[in-house]
Amino acid sequence: MITEKGLWHRIKTRLLFTGPTTFIFTTVVLIPFLYGIFLTFTDWDGIATSYNFVNFDNYATVFQDTAFWQSFARTLKYVFSSVIFINVVAFSLAYILTRRRKSNIYRTGFFLPNLVGGIVLGFIWQFIFNHMIVNAGKYFGISLFESTWLADPDRALWALVIVTVWQYAGYMMVIYISGLMNVPKDVMEAAEIDGAIGWRRMKNVVLPLMVPAFSVCIFLSLQRAFLVYEVNLSLTSGGPFKSTELVSMFIYNKAFLARDYGVGQAEAFVLFIIVAIITLLQVYFTKKMEVES
Amino acid sequence: MNRKLSLVSLLLILMLLLAACGGNNNTKDSSNGSNSTAGQSNSNGSSAKSDVKLTFLNSKSEIQTQLEDAVKVYQAETGVEIEIISTGNGQSPFEKASQLYAAGNPATILMLDPADVPSFEERILDLSNEKWVADAVENSTTVVNGKVLDFPLAVEGFSFIYNQEVLDEAVGGTFDPATITTRDELKALFEKIVAIGKQPIHISPMDWSLGAHFLNGLYANQSTDMNEVVGFIDQLKAGSADLANDTVFNGLIDTFDLMMEYNNVKDQPLAAVYEQGPEDIASGEVGLWFMGNWAWPNIKEFNEEGQFGFLPVPISNNPDDYGNTQIATSITKRLVIDAEKSSAEQQEAAKQFLNWIVYEPSGQNFLINEANIVPAFNGMELQPQDPLAQSIQSYMANGKTTVGLNILPADHWSNVGASMQKYLAKSGDRANLAKEIEDYWKKVK
Repeated sequence: MITEKGLWHRIKTRLLFTGPTTFIFTTVVLIPFLYGIFLTFTDWDGIATSYNFVNFDNYATVFQDTAFWQSFARTLKYVFSSVIFINVVAFSLAYILTRRRKSNIYRTGFFLPNLVGGIVLGFIWQFIFNHMIVNAGKYFGISLFESTWLADPDRALWALVIVTVWQYAGYMMVIYISGLMNVPKDVMEAAEIDGAIGWRRMKNVVLPLMVPAFSVCIFLSLQRAFLVYEVNLSLTSGGPFKSTELVSMFIYNKAFLARDYGVGQAEAFVLFIIVAIITLLQVYFTKKMEVES
Repeated sequence: MNRKLSLVSLLLILMLLLAACGGNNNTKDSSNGSNSTAGQSNSNGSSAKSDVKLTFLNSKSEIQTQLEDAVKVYQAETGVEIEIISTGNGQSPFEKASQLYAAGNPATILMLDPADVPSFEERILDLSNEKWVADAVENSTTVVNGKVLDFPLAVEGFSFIYNQEVLDEAVGGTFDPATITTRDELKALFEKIVAIGKQPIHISPMDWSLGAHFLNGLYANQSTDMNEVVGFIDQLKAGSADLANDTVFNGLIDTFDLMMEYNNVKDQPLAAVYEQGPEDIASGEVGLWFMGNWAWPNIKEFNEEGQFGFLPVPISNNPDDYGNTQIATSITKRLVIDAEKSSAEQQEAAKQFLNWIVYEPSGQNFLINEANIVPAFNGMELQPQDPLAQSIQSYMANGKTTVGLNILPADHWSNVGASMQKYLAKSGDRANLAKEIEDYWKKVK
């Protein structure tokens, strides 16, 4: 219908639907993003009214900054474990909940943590890790839990992973549930008649048909884990001795605490490129794995 | 027809949005214009109007409620409403202030750390002509290009806080802080506290406490001459200082080793939260706590009647060494007035508020009695009532103070604080600590 009208009319229609979002996207995403890239070529400290151009010095600093790459390596470790655990837990929950009736209360329950904001979540879990688990550990004499995980540089990152999994598993579960329910009944019946049940049916029928759901969930968990900040801040605030300072927090501290806005921005831009490459690759490969029923 | 109508209305909304943005710019320009003309009006005039509303960025979270009460009193007296906004948990005043400026919505009065003030020079008001400048104690304001930029809010001191009751019992008599001038005497005191079945000391493991306050001694105790302190820092920046063989560094860390040995939470040194410190010292569970007088409101919650005071942190066994009989003090919080976005009326009212703090009885009452701040002004009628403030004032009166440095870089506490935490948790040895501090300074521009 649109094609029947003239060019101007088509533009008007497009503008009606996409105009407001384009306007908002431009003002709050595109312009700050481009301005941010512009600032990476300056030595601005975040408050001064004037600054100098330093060409690519900030980028050179980024590539020489070992602390940044250490933080990045830490983030990779965190992202890798979070993505795996989130999706394993979410898929298991979804699988169990689609096999039983009257599971709405459980679905709601598992989804709830996602509705609690990251900062609040961090403080709740800080209390749990610092007091409840420690007291329980002492009571039952479990040495693993007798000291708080948050003060131990080896375990604090795992505490962060646990909280992240708890936060996102419910959300991903909802996506997996819809994926599982959309597996066509006739295909399942056909598989059953052919004698494929249990793990065989799961591996050869259900999982291949679920690839779109996996693709979405892995993308979302990857992207969220890479850019995590508020849980990191409120749960450990990077401690003990910066052993859980993930890359977003590192960049924030670089820009606002060390007042090296240019370098901070450059690091943020490098992070953006890397995250974009990783997620695009992930989407490309999972897309290739998709099959038609 | 309908579609055309909706398209038109949509365009209208968009235009309104744009107009609203543009409109803001206009008012900003005009208020800026009036700044330059009205900004020179006499600050002593009582031009504060009741319809002026100010905002105040508070970065001293322990006085948040006192401040909120004070502005209510102020509003009742003058009709000027002041809204208090505060920095977030763990957020530095600079972070918050630069965010507010970036958003084009700075507070009228901003409470900054001393080192931050010069970077705001172009955006804040010149306070040179204010009456209180003459009454402020020496070197308490930031002067850039001949302009006084800030109002000194608080003198703060940090060292060992002691609980008189516990130490009286430990030494069997009245404890006199002047008797502790060497590390061995401190150790003997710790032993005496152990002997009465109490814990000697609590170490708060926060990076700001260890980095900004404990390690302050590393620089400040180098010399009584400020130029030599600056010289030492320059050496660190140049990478030519050798911390591993530095007397002050080794002395300070020897004392820290002693503190770690007698720490009441030494099984899990990093698990302690700030709130445990005031509780432990106030209840008499420990005899000493390394902290500053800002902790008084927290201690008071547990023990209002108790006697507390400051004890120097000895860094050697020679009682005459600099730092062994002194506690560190500095003027830690500065108030500045925004000159960029605030109207002339707001700036005038903000100046009046600063005068109110120094010269009006109710303002002094807030500063000294309610907020327990040691004022940075001479000739105030009220005297601090809390024991920690009194202890600081007596050290100041005797000239027994070292400098709480405000020339350290903004991310110093966070980085060296992390290194100190590592040392405290025994995840790194002294050589590693020295190396990490040296490495930090080499990266400072």
